[in-house]
Amino acid sequence: MNPLELTLGIMTAVGGFVDISELVFAAKAGSTFGYALIWVFAFATVGIMVFGEMSGRVAAVAKQPVFSLMRHRLGLKLGLVTLVASLVSTLITCAAEVGGMGLILHYLTGAPYLLMAVASTLVLMASMWILPFKWIERIYGLLGLLMIVFAAALVAIHPPWAKLAAGFVPQVPAGLSTKELLQFAYFAVAILSAVMFPYEAYFYSSGGIEEHWGPKDLLTNRVTTTVGFGLGSLLAIAILAGSAQLFGPANVGPEMPGTSALEAAIPFGRAGLLLALLGMLFAVAGAAVETCMANAYAIAQFFGWEWGRHKKPWEAPRFTLAWIVLFLLALLIVMTDVDVMSLVEYAVLFSIVVLPLTYLPLMLLADDKSFMGKYANKWLAKGLGWIYFAIVTAAAIAAVPLYLLTSGGQG
Amino acid sequence: MTRQLWLLLLLVAGCAKGPEADLQYIGEARSLGAEWALVNEQAAGGRLTSHYTATMRQNIREQLQTTRTSLTRPDSRYGAEIQALLEQPDNAAPAELRAHADRLKTIEDGLESA
Repeated sequence: MNPLELTLGIMTAVGGFVDISELVFAAKAGSTFGYALIWVFAFATVGIMVFGEMSGRVAAVAKQPVFSLMRHRLGLKLGLVTLVASLVSTLITCAAEVGGMGLILHYLTGAPYLLMAVASTLVLMASMWILPFKWIERIYGLLGLLMIVFAAALVAIHPPWAKLAAGFVPQVPAGLSTKELLQFAYFAVAILSAVMFPYEAYFYSSGGIEEHWGPKDLLTNRVTTTVGFGLGSLLAIAILAGSAQLFGPANVGPEMPGTSALEAAIPFGRAGLLLALLGMLFAVAGAAVETCMANAYAIAQFFGWEWGRHKKPWEAPRFTLAWIVLFLLALLIVMTDVDVMSLVEYAVLFSIVVLPLTYLPLMLLADDKSFMGKYANKWLAKGLGWIYFAIVTAAAIAAVPLYLLTSGGQG
Repeated sequence: MTRQLWLLLLLVAGCAKGPEADLQYIGEARSLGAEWALVNEQAAGGRLTSHYTATMRQNIREQLQTTRTSLTRPDSRYGAEIQALLEQPDNAAPAELRAHADRLKTIEDGLESA
């Protein structure tokens, strides 16, 4: 295990953890329920650690991508259902990220939002064409680390640390009305979905194959998923806590992604604002690349095409065409002028419905001793996996009714 | 059974009218007014860039307009309050914007407890 590579891997995971949905829901959750939803972020982070580690292990041991294995395991029909469902949810997520980039550039430059969305897409496509996989992942992930300004801003505004720490304990605030309880439940489901997006497992495991992981990389896989995702989640929690401290008491329920940047502007002025906006831009750009590539990986792996960014674009032509078309489709959705906040809501809603379909086959594969040998799930991974599977299934069933009953969390 | 439950949910979500149905828009407008006050307060202290300030104000105004047109009772007290917010200049005093947001909050709380 190369310590420099490991450190860079962890830092990339930290900077690449937060995406537009987490930004939006962390700020809204903090302003609406104070620190009471921090535990959901922590709980969901353990979930993505479990499934992230599992998907990386399957990729390292089987040297085969999750979607190819899924097709063999589930059969063509059920595999196709999983593929289509995950394509739709990840495409909407990709559109939300592209729209988010357009908006953040709009805040930074004042240039028209749709023009910025087009420019963002072209830059992302160019970077994917030119850069090798490792550098695509690292550039966006490492620049996303500028989001650390949110953690620094939280320290600077002196939050009530005891109350904040108490937020890590699972709780439902006392004295909520039925309407508020439904809203709390909706936020909990949305946060679970935003942290455990299905594309993350596809991207992460395919990345392991792009980087030629083998059993010797299993420790790197474990450390990256636990430390990297854990620290990344702390950034999202910092946004939530800053919102609880600054926005909640001011009656602000952040209605736009740009509002979160005020958390850094209030203690640090213009420098804080710019760092926050740039950090958000790169984090969201990284997520846009991940969602688009996750979809292209899924299609190529399912149909057995040549795939991978370790190959030249023309060496895997159908894979290359897939990510180009997917980026253009995401841009097309944004160009309909649909509200970015609505896209975020739909992305979270579709993703939670798809989550059980994503994680069940992965878990069955990782449990299978005939397939994984001595690297099959042990009692901890197996136990946590089934607990999280039960919870995401319950959340998937509850998501749409909660969305309708709370008008998308508005109450 | 499942189908009936879905129909019931859609009815509950889609068929409400009047202040009850407008509650979410009142909440949105209250939040937008408070956001606008916060932006203007920070901008006055020189803590924001001009692009960010202008963009936030423009987006807030557009969303307020959408909120107002979504009301089932635009001629209500809350409709008038949202209209009053829309008539404020971009660089309105934070205290003035906050006063409108607070009045919307009072209306919102009253409707919620009714």
